[in-house]
Amino acid sequence: MAHNTAVLVLGGGSTGCGIARDLAMRGVDVTLVERGNLTDGTTGRMHGLLHSGGRYAVSDQASATECIEENEILRDIASHCVEETGGLFVQRPEDSDEYLQKKLEGCRDCGIPATVLSGREAREVEPYLAKDVSRAIQVPDGAVDPFRLCVANALDAERHGARVETHAEVIDLLREGDDIYGVEVRHDSGPGKRTHKSPGTTEEITAEYVVNATGAWAGQIGAMADLDVAVRPSKGVMTIMNVRQVDTVINRCRPKGDADIIVPHETTAILGTTDEEVADPDDYPEEQWEVDMMIDTLSELVPIIEEARTIRSFWGVRPLYEPPGTGTQDPTDITRDFFLLDHDERDGVSGMSSIVGGKFTTYRAMAEEITDHVCEKLGVSATCATAEEPLPGSEDISVLEEGMDNFGLRSPVARRSNQRLGSRAADVLETDEPNPVVCQCEGVTRAEVQDAIGQSGSDLNAVRIRTRASMGNCQGGFCCQNMATELHPRYDEETVREALDELFQERWKGERHALWGEQLSQAMLNYALHATTMNRDNDPASGATQIDYAQFDGGA
Amino acid sequence: MSDAQRPIDDSVPSEQPSTGGADEDDSGNDEFEPVQVFPEAEEMDLRPGADNCYKCSTCDTNCPVAEVDDEFPGPKFQGPEQWRLKRQDDHDIDESVMKCSNCMRCDSACPSSVPLSQMHNTARAEYVEENMSKFSREYLRNRMLANYRRLAPLASMFPRTANFVMGLSVTKWLGEKTLGITSERDLPTFATETFREWWTDRGGAKVQNENKRIAYFHGCYSNYNTPEVAKALVRVYEHFGYEVMVPEQSCSGTPMFANGMLEDARRAAETNVRELAAAIEDGADVIASCSSCSMSIRQEYPELFDFEDTETVAANTWDAVEYLRVHEDLTGALENTTVDDEFDDMAYHAPCHSRNQGLDGQTIEVMDAIDGIDAHDVGDSCSGISGTYGWKEENYETSMKIGEEMFEHMDEAEAETGLTECPTCSMQMEHGTGYEIKHTLEVLEAALVSDGGGSHAETGASSSLGEAEGEGKSTETGTESD
Repeated sequence: MAHNTAVLVLGGGSTGCGIARDLAMRGVDVTLVERGNLTDGTTGRMHGLLHSGGRYAVSDQASATECIEENEILRDIASHCVEETGGLFVQRPEDSDEYLQKKLEGCRDCGIPATVLSGREAREVEPYLAKDVSRAIQVPDGAVDPFRLCVANALDAERHGARVETHAEVIDLLREGDDIYGVEVRHDSGPGKRTHKSPGTTEEITAEYVVNATGAWAGQIGAMADLDVAVRPSKGVMTIMNVRQVDTVINRCRPKGDADIIVPHETTAILGTTDEEVADPDDYPEEQWEVDMMIDTLSELVPIIEEARTIRSFWGVRPLYEPPGTGTQDPTDITRDFFLLDHDERDGVSGMSSIVGGKFTTYRAMAEEITDHVCEKLGVSATCATAEEPLPGSEDISVLEEGMDNFGLRSPVARRSNQRLGSRAADVLETDEPNPVVCQCEGVTRAEVQDAIGQSGSDLNAVRIRTRASMGNCQGGFCCQNMATELHPRYDEETVREALDELFQERWKGERHALWGEQLSQAMLNYALHATTMNRDNDPASGATQIDYAQFDGGA
Repeated sequence: MSDAQRPIDDSVPSEQPSTGGADEDDSGNDEFEPVQVFPEAEEMDLRPGADNCYKCSTCDTNCPVAEVDDEFPGPKFQGPEQWRLKRQDDHDIDESVMKCSNCMRCDSACPSSVPLSQMHNTARAEYVEENMSKFSREYLRNRMLANYRRLAPLASMFPRTANFVMGLSVTKWLGEKTLGITSERDLPTFATETFREWWTDRGGAKVQNENKRIAYFHGCYSNYNTPEVAKALVRVYEHFGYEVMVPEQSCSGTPMFANGMLEDARRAAETNVRELAAAIEDGADVIASCSSCSMSIRQEYPELFDFEDTETVAANTWDAVEYLRVHEDLTGALENTTVDDEFDDMAYHAPCHSRNQGLDGQTIEVMDAIDGIDAHDVGDSCSGISGTYGWKEENYETSMKIGEEMFEHMDEAEAETGLTECPTCSMQMEHGTGYEIKHTLEVLEAALVSDGGGSHAETGASSSLGEAEGEGKSTETGTESD
């Protein structure tokens, strides 16, 4: 039977994109389908920590060792997505000395460089640490942009011949007897790049092998073929601060607990997180007390957070999994290790494996292991090169480090653009067209927005995750419409309007959880601006009835 | 041995000197003050500034430079936006920060208390420190302009020669070609006798009054260039029975902030804060006759420096006219006073730095009380010179474009004389219209003090004298010569 593709990967998160890249680089014909945008699931809803492994150095040394190895690889192959911030495990007077000692020894056992700092030395590194912080362990944690890392993997997969379909939701697994041979997907706007308002279609994609990399949604996919994948989705809240209160990753040095990490991320700092099991990864309550609790708890480490501006909060669901019969009660205690479930061995159903558990930092190693497994099934002997081959944008690190070109942009805008684009900067930013700044908060220019539109069609959220446009303090109030305007004339007015609405709604979703103080002022200003300049509070053009233009005077 | 066994915190041990038996037994070492070895980084935390900005752009629409220069990105970018985009280790402030004229209008325009000028001052200082070559013509020129006070004493030693040389067209040509100082403007002339020389010759204060004391911050310009303004202040304040002190002082720092020379400003401010704090200790309030000097001491010092007493000095510093309006019945004293023809109708321009202190309306009100003076407010535009800004060759045209609105209004007003409280605004007013420009204190002197050129309204003055003064009442009748 002829298949459409050799391997079909379900899920456009870090795992799925990593697998697609690895397979494509080994010469395997691969197709990836994703329900929404790339990173729409858990990948786009994490705090952006590049683990040193220090976090697991006491509880899970195998994971810790893997983290430090992958940490070093990502600094190399994805340098334009990584900021080498360093990290601190901070001990307060009430935190146990014994644990700190164990943490330090654990780090050393796992090959994680770790140094103890006195309270004062720690405050020299991070002046806003609480005055009573007593000691800290310094480790090579970093910050990573999950969006750009994931997109870079997908982009590289495409360069190696892969087909990547976003906005293609799996509506059925194709199973014949005990063999899974493909899926049926519903394209939101037809196959190819997304264009709003285009009619949806369905497509059957058949494959020699299917990889279910849908994380927290793996159970739902499995159920389509009557397979039981007992994922235990666990939600966690993250809050984005307007500015960086710290430039180093700050962890609390204690065994476990909610609200124990602050990650400096691009222009912002992200507070994380909580851990609470939920039934449905698509429908769970987002509650204000979770945000309040996190700000209160983290203020013990960095007191200025209490008064600082937050710009939004978001929740993500971890795809936690443990083998049947383990029976761990507290989701915090469930292992962060990943599991490859070969449904042939496990359920007697061939043609598919599911991947559950795992963590972002080690996505590449996971992908390698799964790709090895798939290649074995397919009889492919090529070996993995993803640890050596840099991702698009990181091919030439010297571009980032030395020859920073300004491309006629103002200094901080040029610097941020160069860091986002890495070695692609010249390709994207060298333009004969006028290149104004479209998003002022994040310093994103028209050329970068146009580059992203070229990659992702009329989908402005896809533009957002590629560029950071609309992710700053105004949360799109001043730039959403300018981003939408960039879609014209490639797309017609109706498409542009719908793309704008979708982006603005997405921004509002997170901003709802930050409506006090300055961000409330911001939201009110955004509302007033959009109402008075674009009629967005009550736009007759979007109503059902036709407008009688004859009723208007000539404007004289 | 593991370094985890290091002490919990290595506080600096107490070095408390022994103060004698009984005390020591009671308090032991519990109350020692830890010595701060490392400076506190949060002393100049600009995070709240970036947090407060919701990007409404009111600052941009109030910026006089952005209005005439499309290339200038405006205060929002220069302040909170750039701050937020820049990372700790980045040292590339955009060069456009040097186009900001430091008029500080953005500060009063902002509805959300963003400390824009503070953000600009620190960004500019960082730009000069990290990005500007210390051997460039621009740096040398700016350093010279910012430190005008250091050059002024030289010129003052031989004022006539200096004025002659500076007036030569060859000097101006050289100034533009070698230093980038515009040849369009006439350099300010130096007085043959500085205010401080006059003050010494005069024997200092003529009024002694321990209950009403002021410390006069004259600044550089009224010392070296317009001592008549400083003398007017002394006579007006003595007329109201104040004992005037003239403490040691340095430049207020305004031109240094505007040129990103924060270290120079720090040195000057340190002297000023120390000297003025001592005067305050002696019961004086600090009075400035230049609106930029008072602005600097009141706002920029506490925003940028943390010397002991900075806040106290800021809180006790006043504008000269403002102080009299609050502490004396100034309009009462001015009732029925008249002045000579030289102060007839006047075109008044409120300097931006007065506006930022909330003082833009006071001069017209005070002038209205004097018979025979018709003062016309020429509107709320910026004069465009902004201290050293308009002296730079590359800014001259922008400066004149900004000033255009003021020139037009001055032209339309029925007056041939200009009035303002800022030295450089007055240069610009004169340059753009050819009018003679007076300082408000000169008019007050003419109205209140008999030898100052106008009639002396005995009633108003003596009533205020009588109330506040006892023994130290002035007997001065204005016989000093000048």
